[in-house]
Amino acid sequence: MADAVRIQTEDFSQDEEIAALKLSSKRMGGVGTFLGCARDFSEGREVTEIRFDIYGSMALSEMQKLRSEAIEKFSLLDARIVHRIGTVRGGDNIVFIAAGAEHRAAALEACRWIIDELKQRVPIWKKEITPQGDAWLASHP
Amino acid sequence: MIKVLFFGPVAERIGKNILQTEHQSDMQLQDLRANLAQAYPAAFDIVCFAAVNGEHVRDMSLPLVDGSEVAFMARFSGG
Repeated sequence: MADAVRIQTEDFSQDEEIAALKLSSKRMGGVGTFLGCARDFSEGREVTEIRFDIYGSMALSEMQKLRSEAIEKFSLLDARIVHRIGTVRGGDNIVFIAAGAEHRAAALEACRWIIDELKQRVPIWKKEITPQGDAWLASHP
Repeated sequence: MIKVLFFGPVAERIGKNILQTEHQSDMQLQDLRANLAQAYPAAFDIVCFAAVNGEHVRDMSLPLVDGSEVAFMARFSGG
């Protein structure tokens, strides 16, 4: 089975991630998910593609800490985080988070918490490639 | 030696991803930052975070030991 926390260039399967999550416990009554996608339009400009830069070892370590902290904070049964790097285009998947808990509230709240913390703590940067030029993206709320 | 890493917009402004600098006794993170900010002011305008050996560091008085890996980073935009 693939690791619960991964950084990879290739696309991921949401079904496979959820299936792997559910394998960890049959007490799981709720699975919350978040899928982050690439947009083809940003701040009034068409976006041709998005390229990533990453501090790989630190990013993976921070994502692993995020998973552990979320499991403890929300009493999750399991959680998975997958982030893509390389080059993506409009509509492509970027990040997938799945949180499994006994009940829905914890699963949904954990998902929201993980993506918010990921944006604050994980050293990954996006560069938008547009017909007007390239620009590093400022973080979005 | 201290290995200093740069990524994304900071690396682009500096024109490189890595540089090595001599370790000095009693060297603190803030000393390294000050030296580099003087050499690369445009890059350090957007530096928001520092890490030492892959861990976030907020205390800029942290002593740096020889062989440390330091990163000065702009605001993140993953996810």
